[in-house]
Amino acid sequence: MRGFIEFVVRFKNYITLITLVVMSLSLMSIGNLSKLGGFRAVIVGSIGWIQSVFAWIPNPVALKAENTALRELNLQLAVEAARSRQATLENSTLRSMLRLPALTDYRLITADVIGKTTTQQRNYATINKGQADGIGEGMSVISDAGLVGIVIGASEHYAILQLLINRDTRVSAKVQRTRVDGIIQWEGENTLVLKNVPRTLDVQDGDRILTSNYSPRYPANIVIGIVRQSTDEPNTLFRRIVVEPAVNFSTLEQVFVVDAKVDQERVGLERVVDERLTNRTAP
Amino acid sequence: MAMNFDLRSSEYVTNPVIRYIGYGVIAMMLSVIHVVFLRFLEVSSVTPDLLLIFTVWIALVEGQFTGMIAGFLCGLLFDFVSTDVIGTNALAKTMAGFIAGYFHRPGFIKETIGSARFMMIVAVSGFVHNLIYNFFFLRPMQVSFLMFFAQYGVASTLYSTVAAIFPMLYVARKKE
Repeated sequence: MRGFIEFVVRFKNYITLITLVVMSLSLMSIGNLSKLGGFRAVIVGSIGWIQSVFAWIPNPVALKAENTALRELNLQLAVEAARSRQATLENSTLRSMLRLPALTDYRLITADVIGKTTTQQRNYATINKGQADGIGEGMSVISDAGLVGIVIGASEHYAILQLLINRDTRVSAKVQRTRVDGIIQWEGENTLVLKNVPRTLDVQDGDRILTSNYSPRYPANIVIGIVRQSTDEPNTLFRRIVVEPAVNFSTLEQVFVVDAKVDQERVGLERVVDERLTNRTAP
Repeated sequence: MAMNFDLRSSEYVTNPVIRYIGYGVIAMMLSVIHVVFLRFLEVSSVTPDLLLIFTVWIALVEGQFTGMIAGFLCGLLFDFVSTDVIGTNALAKTMAGFIAGYFHRPGFIKETIGSARFMMIVAVSGFVHNLIYNFFFLRPMQVSFLMFFAQYGVASTLYSTVAAIFPMLYVARKKE
């Protein structure tokens, strides 16, 4: 017995350590006893109450972290909202473009605008389709809104468009309601002008302007714009008719190239007759 | 806390009952402080372990035997006030008290606690403490023990070691 007591006293630290380790491991395995759980619930509840008492004290580090997280979230949501708006607009545009081929008899070649100038006197646009896609010089270009311009040059995979808002553009046009003819021109800024319309003819604000059947270069009945102002030109017999283009050139992204080239036979005949008449009337 | 080591001739120190009651009260206060207020000192979800420092303190003042029992009781107390599995902290702090007890030198308590030696003992005990604690903490999870320990165990040990500088400086000042 004495030997045992001496042993215990001598190795009391190790015996205590083993005992405490065994007790700890036992507690880990029986930690879910209901009595212990209830007792613990009281303690955790009390601690929770103390925590709530001091909850009003701000924690700058936590607030900073929360602020940063909220800012990141806000940024992500803003990007998401912008994408959503962009997708909605694109969806709307594409939907109206899908309807367009059904409204025309011509084959349409879809293309994306990959470059453009809309702030100069002569405005052009570059599209991502060219001769390899069947695009050739002289083809007219439209969008779901209306007439865009005409192809003036094409390479294998790209083409250059002369936009309606170009000093060199002339389009034979008509008023849809009254069939009055005229020539559409661009004189700068954001509007077009319908010229050569006598004062006596009926043109009113809100009238729709279309390409006429007389033009050998543009298909007939393509929307050009809406009459915004119609006034008598001073000292002439004509009216000054301001037309708002149907196409918004600053936001132009997708276009259709109309697969219909200039009717060379018609152009040739008209040229010959014109020359003959000119010669006949010459002195 | 000076009563735990200082003025060996005073009644506080020589009366073990009062001394141990004092340890108990301090341990309870530290537990509450740890759970309620230490969030203000949180750095990347890591806080200093005040009860570990206190266990090391008791082990250095009272010896290995008392240090182990103090570690066990402090750990058990912390297990109750926190949401840990009961017994996890008890086991880890028992081992911390056991290791810190090896550095107990009667008659040189102030020299031990009032010097960088105290921080070193806290670091060693804390390392073993966190090793055991993280092992049992991560046991039910599919998390790499080494990765977690390297990230949180070592960080917690370092933070506790840095926090041990305050009792060390306090004792060092008293010593002068």
